[in-house]
Amino acid sequence: MSWLFGSRKAEQKAEEPVQQQSLGFDPTSVSDISNILSTPGALDTSRLHPLAGLDKGIEYLDLEDEVLNQTEGAQGLIPSRGWSDDLCYGTGAVYLMGLGIGGAYGFQEGIRNIPANSPPKLKINTILNHITKRGPYLGNSAGVLALTYNIIDSTIDAFRGKHDDLNSVGAGAIAGAIFKSSKGFRPMGISAGLMAGAAGAWCGLKSLLS
Amino acid sequence: MSSDHSRDPCPIVILNDFGGAFSMGVIGGSIWHGIKGFRNSPYGERRIGMLSAIKARAPVVGGNFGVWGGLFSTFDCSVKAVRKREDPWNAIIAGFFTGGALAFRGGKKHTLQSAIMCSILLGVFEGVGLMFQKYSAWQNKPQAMAYPDQPQPMA
Repeated sequence: MSWLFGSRKAEQKAEEPVQQQSLGFDPTSVSDISNILSTPGALDTSRLHPLAGLDKGIEYLDLEDEVLNQTEGAQGLIPSRGWSDDLCYGTGAVYLMGLGIGGAYGFQEGIRNIPANSPPKLKINTILNHITKRGPYLGNSAGVLALTYNIIDSTIDAFRGKHDDLNSVGAGAIAGAIFKSSKGFRPMGISAGLMAGAAGAWCGLKSLLS
Repeated sequence: MSSDHSRDPCPIVILNDFGGAFSMGVIGGSIWHGIKGFRNSPYGERRIGMLSAIKARAPVVGGNFGVWGGLFSTFDCSVKAVRKREDPWNAIIAGFFTGGALAFRGGKKHTLQSAIMCSILLGVFEGVGLMFQKYSAWQNKPQAMAYPDQPQPMA
């Protein structure tokens, strides 16, 4: 997404790796050229060739303009290039999960509501109708919640300059409050508490897995 | 055409595309339906009308976008895995399957029509992408150095 929003380059913290000694001989004990040339391993063609080391292949997420997220404590389960990656992966996973759970619920609801002795086409239609009624509803709600949560989480991270569990729980509470903000204070509080709990559970799971 | 290294490797990129398309749909849908709800509400209730329009419709737009993008990405990865190559045909074939899958409940004719329309659309996208690629390659073409106007006199 960096083509759309542009991205501030994170300061490179990694130091230049120290140049390794790659000469095949000890430079202090050189007396003349023929001495060097006769040393075994000094002129290793497989290392001196301009295309040496290409057999290692290209590593994903290891290119110069695609630096990984370097905010302190923000390294998650999968490598991330920054807030837009977190947003996409987080929202996508939660949305898909909501779609799946809602779809499964709709499936069993449809199975229970099949009209007695109906043709097979009607049976399939009943089940599909129930799936498409429940799945997208739950998926959309969960997806919107995850989207809000991820945006707020990344914003708090950027302000504080680091990421920890407190950020996640706070972002969850704010996201839950916004989600129910048109229903009054009591639902807002309940939804904020639920979302904070969910964010805390996710943090615990993440630290357990990594 | 070499593979695009600003994107993640295949199975996991589906998740990324799902989320990206869904977010795009929700944000775009909020703007679209916010303006629409604001303009279509009576005076005095414009802000509340905007809010309820966003609440009712933006997640649905997001869901439609997300399902489209996720299905497309899934088919794209599958086609890549089967064909073992990366070219514009991948997107066109994936578009065909996506359009067909989304219109599957409308009957055979509707499915086929939608699949063909979707693959044509994707074909146009890929064509425009190739055009841009060619144009930028042409802009960065290697330049021969100019000869000096007069040969330097030998000293």
